[in-house]
Amino acid sequence: MNKFLRTLLPADIAKGLSVTGKHFSQVFFTANRRKVPFHIVSEYPEVPAKVQPRFRGRLTMLKDEQGVIKCICCLACEKICPTQVITIEKGKQEGRKMPYPVRYDFEMERCIFCEFCVESCGFDAIILNHQFELAAYNREDFSLGTVGLDQNMFEPSHVGKFSVADD
Amino acid sequence: MFKNEEMEINLGPQHPSTHGVLRVKLRLDGETVTHCRPMIGYLHRGVEKICENQSFFQGQVWTDRMDYCSAVANNLGWAEANEKLFGITVPRRAQYIRTLLNEFNRIASHLIWLGTHAMDIGALTVFLYAFREREDVLDINEAFCGSRLTTTAFRIGGLREDLPPGFEKMVRKFLAKFSDCLEEYENLLTENRIWKKRTIGVARLSAEDAIALGVTGPMLRAAGVAYDIRKAFPYAAYAEMDFEIPTRPEADTYARYQVRMAEMRQSARIIQQCMDGMPEGPVMAKLPKILRSEVNEVYHATESPKGEIGYYLVGEKGSLNPYRFHVRAPGFINLQSLPKMAEGGLIADVVAAIGSLDIVLGEIDR
Ligand code: SF4
Ligand code: SF4
Repeated sequence: MNKFLRTLLPADIAKGLSVTGKHFSQVFFTANRRKVPFHIVSEYPEVPAKVQPRFRGRLTMLKDEQGVIKCICCLACEKICPTQVITIEKGKQEGRKMPYPVRYDFEMERCIFCEFCVESCGFDAIILNHQFELAAYNREDFSLGTVGLDQNMFEPSHVGKFSVADD
Repeated sequence: MFKNEEMEINLGPQHPSTHGVLRVKLRLDGETVTHCRPMIGYLHRGVEKICENQSFFQGQVWTDRMDYCSAVANNLGWAEANEKLFGITVPRRAQYIRTLLNEFNRIASHLIWLGTHAMDIGALTVFLYAFREREDVLDINEAFCGSRLTTTAFRIGGLREDLPPGFEKMVRKFLAKFSDCLEEYENLLTENRIWKKRTIGVARLSAEDAIALGVTGPMLRAAGVAYDIRKAFPYAAYAEMDFEIPTRPEADTYARYQVRMAEMRQSARIIQQCMDGMPEGPVMAKLPKILRSEVNEVYHATESPKGEIGYYLVGEKGSLNPYRFHVRAPGFINLQSLPKMAEGGLIADVVAAIGSLDIVLGEIDR
């Protein structure tokens, strides 16, 4: 008898539906939907997504105040990289005592964004920036470097335009 | 006139409810499963071999990519196995932060399990609510180590960095609302008649069978065996934490659901304790510049959200990389219990059984 009543009165279903109803009314009956604390969906491509300060994005090379590449070719980053995506060619530059990277190639398609390279660099010459939209149509767009390419390692690449706005 | 013929079908490897690329070979008599064999290997990347060819420091990034739903727990096992190999003592603050993140990871992993398992069985709503909280946990991951899924959170000997500013506020905010959220999931599922019909008495695995097959984690605890490595062989800061091991005697899918829900509550409790009792001090032990191993072998097991994840490392004299590396993946061993659970049941219950296993194929195939 008890079981029959329970089958007839769907209290369990009502309990579940009340959760949905609560959230629905909270969002639906409010004039300014963005103010609702439970409204957790962000309008991402229009509103740029925020990332945390420690976010690990694309590898970027840094220059010092004079606009000179900070890297001195110690090759620590090349050695530590678990996927071996960094290739450095050592060279000399006039008026510079330290070695200068003639070539610094970074194949982004195989980078796993682990930040080991940044950690190993004792000269703060590289960082991972906050760019996360790194998809591209051509494989060539992933080969970044310091020379001879239309993209370079010093600025965010043109493919993630949304996340750049945040930087 | 009517012939009784068995039919052989494949469930997967692209079936949405096999959680990745698991293929299950089923022999059916009508709707009853008479024979069930999981086929694995579609996601094999040779993680163990890669790690043998890379330095001890680099190996951690591959452990992220085994069980990508609980990367922090994998990192912890790897870091501790190496610390055992090299005899490094980790500072107490680092231990606490590790424990804290590991428990967050347990919550995230159980939430993804709850969402996908409920979705497999037909309760789509829970998925959306579970992922809402998982998002917060991933934000906490991101704030700490800069990545959401493939965390590479720890380093051999401690942590790379201390907690970021504002971390405590994030954690407290999460804890304040999390018990309400758990209640919400339970409102949606625990009493729900469809959920109960689909899970109670489905895919039973008795304690004897579970122990014989080497099943660990929530699967074993749902069979009434209170075995948890966090209590049995405490690691990180678990010896100082006060928590319970939830168990259920029923050993069915519903019991596994209850155990995992209770585990999330316990995890929240541990996080609270970590946050309140967080000691001050350094987060990195003093290490030699290059880690070179001696002739030595270690096996270190930790309790990942899925069960016992064990790392077996063999060192070679003066070598930069492990001579042999082996992972005892909980998913791989738990999956062996699928035939036991599925055979004799209905084909619809195979999906419930796979869901209740909480497997991640990245870890099974490695
Ligand atoms: S982030 Fe990791 S994978 Fe990428 S270049 Fe640096 S070390 Fe290599
Ligand atoms: S570790 Fe730093 S300084 Fe050394 S090669 Fe790499 S970027 Fe240059």
